[in-house]
Amino acid sequence: MKMGIKARERISNSIIYTILTILSFVWLLPIAWLIMSSLRAEPGAYTTYIIPKGWTLSNYTKLFTETELFNFPRWFANTLFVACVSCVITTMLTLMVAYTYSRLRFRSRKGLMNMSLVLGMFPGFMSMIAIYHFMKLMGLDQSLAALIMVYSGGAALKYYVAKGFFDTIPRSLDEAALIDGATRNVVFFKIILPNSMPIVTYTAIEAFIAPWVDFIFVSVIMKDNYDNYTVALGLFRMLERENIYNYFTQFCAGAVLVAVPITLLFIKIQKFYVGGVVGGAVKG
Amino acid sequence: MKKLLSLVLAIALVAGMSTCAMADAVTLKLWGAQEDQALLGELVEAFKAENADVEWDISLGVVGEPDAKTRYLEDPAAAADVFAFANDQLMDLVNADALYEVTRNKDAIVAANSAGSIESATLNDTLYGYPMTADNGYFLYYDKSVLTEEDVKTLDGILAKANEAGKKVFMDVSNGWYIASFFMGAGCELGMDENGNQTCDFNNAAGVAAGEAIRAFCADPAFLTGDDSVLQGGMGETICAGVSGTWNADAMMDKLGDNYAACKLPTFTCAGEQVQMGSFIGTKVVGVNTQTEFPVEAMMLAEYITNEAAQVKRFEQRAMGPSNVNAAASEAVQENLALAALAAQSAHGTSQKLVLGTYWTPAEAFGLEMENKSTADMQTLLDSMVAQITAK
Repeated sequence: MKMGIKARERISNSIIYTILTILSFVWLLPIAWLIMSSLRAEPGAYTTYIIPKGWTLSNYTKLFTETELFNFPRWFANTLFVACVSCVITTMLTLMVAYTYSRLRFRSRKGLMNMSLVLGMFPGFMSMIAIYHFMKLMGLDQSLAALIMVYSGGAALKYYVAKGFFDTIPRSLDEAALIDGATRNVVFFKIILPNSMPIVTYTAIEAFIAPWVDFIFVSVIMKDNYDNYTVALGLFRMLERENIYNYFTQFCAGAVLVAVPITLLFIKIQKFYVGGVVGGAVKG
Repeated sequence: MKKLLSLVLAIALVAGMSTCAMADAVTLKLWGAQEDQALLGELVEAFKAENADVEWDISLGVVGEPDAKTRYLEDPAAAADVFAFANDQLMDLVNADALYEVTRNKDAIVAANSAGSIESATLNDTLYGYPMTADNGYFLYYDKSVLTEEDVKTLDGILAKANEAGKKVFMDVSNGWYIASFFMGAGCELGMDENGNQTCDFNNAAGVAAGEAIRAFCADPAFLTGDDSVLQGGMGETICAGVSGTWNADAMMDKLGDNYAACKLPTFTCAGEQVQMGSFIGTKVVGVNTQTEFPVEAMMLAEYITNEAAQVKRFEQRAMGPSNVNAAASEAVQENLALAALAAQSAHGTSQKLVLGTYWTPAEAFGLEMENKSTADMQTLLDSMVAQITAK
């Protein structure tokens, strides 16, 4: 029997939608579970049921009011501060280096590019003990400044995605500006940057997320300095065997709150993700 | 280039030194667990008040007892002058030359604390620390509404009643700390040879019998494994008995309410006979860093935060079992069900001092095999586990 195009389309669509529904359910379930746990009134990390028996907002309020044991507001402010500063530094460094490699021609360019690519292959935490001792030598150990330096120090090594993007912007744009008397600096800020918002956004978000999720460097650098913890390290303390029963639901609430600044930043700058800004900029 | 480098280094050196020049105050740093900070703060204030003739500058750092060794070895100079650690780290800390020998008031300290706790802080006849608590062990929590005092005497009795009631019996078998209780109960030993290598005889005849008992336990329909959170979540609902330690006492009381009960571990059937399960017994000890600038003052502080009054306070605020004889004999401690159960179990306990790092991973792997209901030959399994544990 022959099937009409419409019927076939309907069947393939229904199969696709079934698969997508199942996938989205699988993806959303952990998040739904996290949010439900953060609103759960009963303590404990594990329950024999999924839907909480009692609902409460006290896990959230307690994070901000009961700060003797776990100073969440302080950690949150620390992380926000480190994230903002290192986001700005990282974004500027990465983009400037990418611009240099993309547009300027100098003798050691190839060598430097290859070297930073190779250096960038090594995970940063391989050198964490050495970094700790350098910081200590400078009297910066256990400080937020040290964290900012660690998170933004390696930024120049991650130039390649941005450089690839800059390479696609026609050089004739720069040349036109240079002929009109612009300096390299002006070209970078006035012409290249406005034309590469997607990559600026991408770099900024990546740089902003790093301090929120990093655990290794904070634990090495902060050691016992409880006041300078970031949320990742602080929240982890709630999961120690003595605390997990009483604090697990608060931990979930903290995890939900961590997503807030990242989501806000994303919503705020996602409109720059649209491509095709350059399209039609150069007219013959 | 070289000039620039040396200039940078010189500046760094000067900057480093200028921070060192300090006034005459006695500067000490004290490490303790997060949840002990309030208590330690109180004790430090009292200590300062009692020794007001000296100018004190005592700061607190957050490093829990389980992490003390790791944090110390990362940077001994930046570590606290006085810090608490779990006694199984004693060997490594002494080898790293981290601990001052206790010389000040030694006899009084030895007399005030239980023999077991002093032994746990002693190595080669030298006392290296001040016992703080004696509660790092495990025993059995159970639901009184399901199990009677008679049932919990034997593992078989517990399993039979649990199956009848359709409930589970919890034990984290895939964890070297807990699984050792079967082997030690059967009479096997973990020790150390003269070269400082781990010895282990879990693959002898008694060990094989214990291994078969573990296999039988894991195969029982009522058997349940997992981590602490499984026990905390299921106790009283799907679980009627579970092996854990004092850190879970609050959670157990919460879940069980009036049905809350605790006792020593049961006996199990090993080669046809009833054998008492053993356990690891650990203590928490306060040590003095060899790198401290003020050894005498550091010892005074270490002694103060572990004396009888401090241990009573620690029990009242944090429900931790005292190692101090007088504090442990108090009525309040005796009435604490979990600590009483732990004390009863202690009679069958083994110190964890002679257990080295190589033990845990192979033991965990063996436990996983059992949980997965392996049918392999027990002698072969144990031989390979022991070979890995005793590997140089």
